[in-house]
Amino acid sequence: MNAITFTGVSKSYETVRAVESLDLEIDSGQAVALLGPNGAGKSTSIGMLLGLVRPSGGTVRVFGQTPDAAVRAGLIGAMLQDGALVPGLSVREVVDFVRGLYPEPLPLAEILELANLTTLAKRRADQLSGGQAQRVRFALAAAGAPKLLVLDEPTSAMDVESRRSFWASMRAYAAGGRTVLFATHYMEEADENADRVIVMARGRIVADGTAQEIKATAGGRTVRFTIGDQSTAGLDRLPGVTGVEVRGGSAQLSTTDTDATVQALYASGISVRDLEVKGAGLEDAFLSLTGDN
Amino acid sequence: MPRYLAVEIRRMYRDRRFIFFTVAIPVGFYLLWSNIFAKSSGPDTDTGLDPKTYLLVSMASFGALGAALTTTGARLAAERQSGWLRQLQVTPLRPWAVITTKVIASMCLALPAIVLVGITAALTQHVHLSPGQWAAMVALMWVGTLPFAALGTLIGSLVSADAAHPVTVACYFALSILGGLWMSVSILPKTLRTIAHWTPSNRFADLGWSVVAGHTPPASDALVLAAWTVGLGALAVAAYRRATVRR
Repeated sequence: MNAITFTGVSKSYETVRAVESLDLEIDSGQAVALLGPNGAGKSTSIGMLLGLVRPSGGTVRVFGQTPDAAVRAGLIGAMLQDGALVPGLSVREVVDFVRGLYPEPLPLAEILELANLTTLAKRRADQLSGGQAQRVRFALAAAGAPKLLVLDEPTSAMDVESRRSFWASMRAYAAGGRTVLFATHYMEEADENADRVIVMARGRIVADGTAQEIKATAGGRTVRFTIGDQSTAGLDRLPGVTGVEVRGGSAQLSTTDTDATVQALYASGISVRDLEVKGAGLEDAFLSLTGDN
Repeated sequence: MPRYLAVEIRRMYRDRRFIFFTVAIPVGFYLLWSNIFAKSSGPDTDTGLDPKTYLLVSMASFGALGAALTTTGARLAAERQSGWLRQLQVTPLRPWAVITTKVIASMCLALPAIVLVGITAALTQHVHLSPGQWAAMVALMWVGTLPFAALGTLIGSLVSADAAHPVTVACYFALSILGGLWMSVSILPKTLRTIAHWTPSNRFADLGWSVVAGHTPPASDALVLAAWTVGLGALAVAAYRRATVRR
């Protein structure tokens, strides 16, 4: 069964269309990144998924149920962007409390271990650093052993080291065959941690696939070499080439298949010097997909 | 839900300063007023009660009302604004359970306010009531805080965290004055007296005054309080839902 199904879902706030006609299916057991710049509609989509935002149109289903029913059944755990911690309780108390709200939670010690909180268990939850508080919020999201874990920009308050250990925790959780959906605007987080990347911009899905596929669809890689004053005719007909740019004796070919392009280039009789092959990063792909074009 | 209630009560009692003021203010006012009025004025014209007994109920009501309002309104508004309630919203805990728990937890702080004013009255002013009267007064006044706890959760769901405190205090004072908790409603102008008769605070205190005067409270007290509880409770649940789900 699909973990998540969006059918023709849209959301408008007064004059702004935050999400436009979203169709989306996510299988159980995948780690999926929702990638996009601020204002792309990621948080609104997540809000609708969790039943916190009512769609203006279309339907959302989580394991075949409405979001409200899925939340009530304990199928969803979520780490929201603004989910502050409640004052007056220790880390252990707040995690144990949320854990107790779910029908089949993880053991308390296991959650604390998973979120790297064992040594902080006795600290007051309102006296933690930003990164530590994020870990507690991750623990709250995972405490009930939900089948779907939703994380809305989970690493925003973390330094590099906390980020690394955070994603290790996330992967450990997802490894149990659970579904994880996370929103991020860091391309490398999507690249490293997701089986599937969905790119959103201006309320729509602009790309959907593995990180590799996203990079390829966005123009892929470039082959650059010194061409001197030789003729550039025919370069655009080489296999895989999607664009040619010649500037100051240097030619740059955009290609979807660098191997084929380079082979054909050498076979073409052009004298090739200073050959350089560059992979477009997910960053470039992301910018080309989400930019206003 | 019992776990949530336990957590809420634990959190409340950890806030020592808050507890101190909630309980100390009505006790302090009881000592002040009873020492001033016990000597200078005669029995209350409506109830026939002597000032120290009349004030026992007034200040217990004042304390219970304050506890019910202040433990709900501002705290709920702050939790709503900080995002904690949204976090709870994505757990299996239901909105009505959140509101119900807040109401019961606030009643758990109203109880010590009632009991401590009672103890103060017995020890310092030698107010004598039968054990049955003490028990009936505490029990009825405890249950009677329900509409005020509902009002507090309504305030907490409607207004911002900054505004919640002044709005709560305004309601607190208005209800205390109109309810005749500071001075008997018999001294109010006629129109205000009529309004006072329909306020939950006046009916709430009337439960206590009836018991200490030795008779059963009128059924209309229970009906008026129940109506306020149902009305404010329904509004509170609706407002809470509106505050946590974006349409």
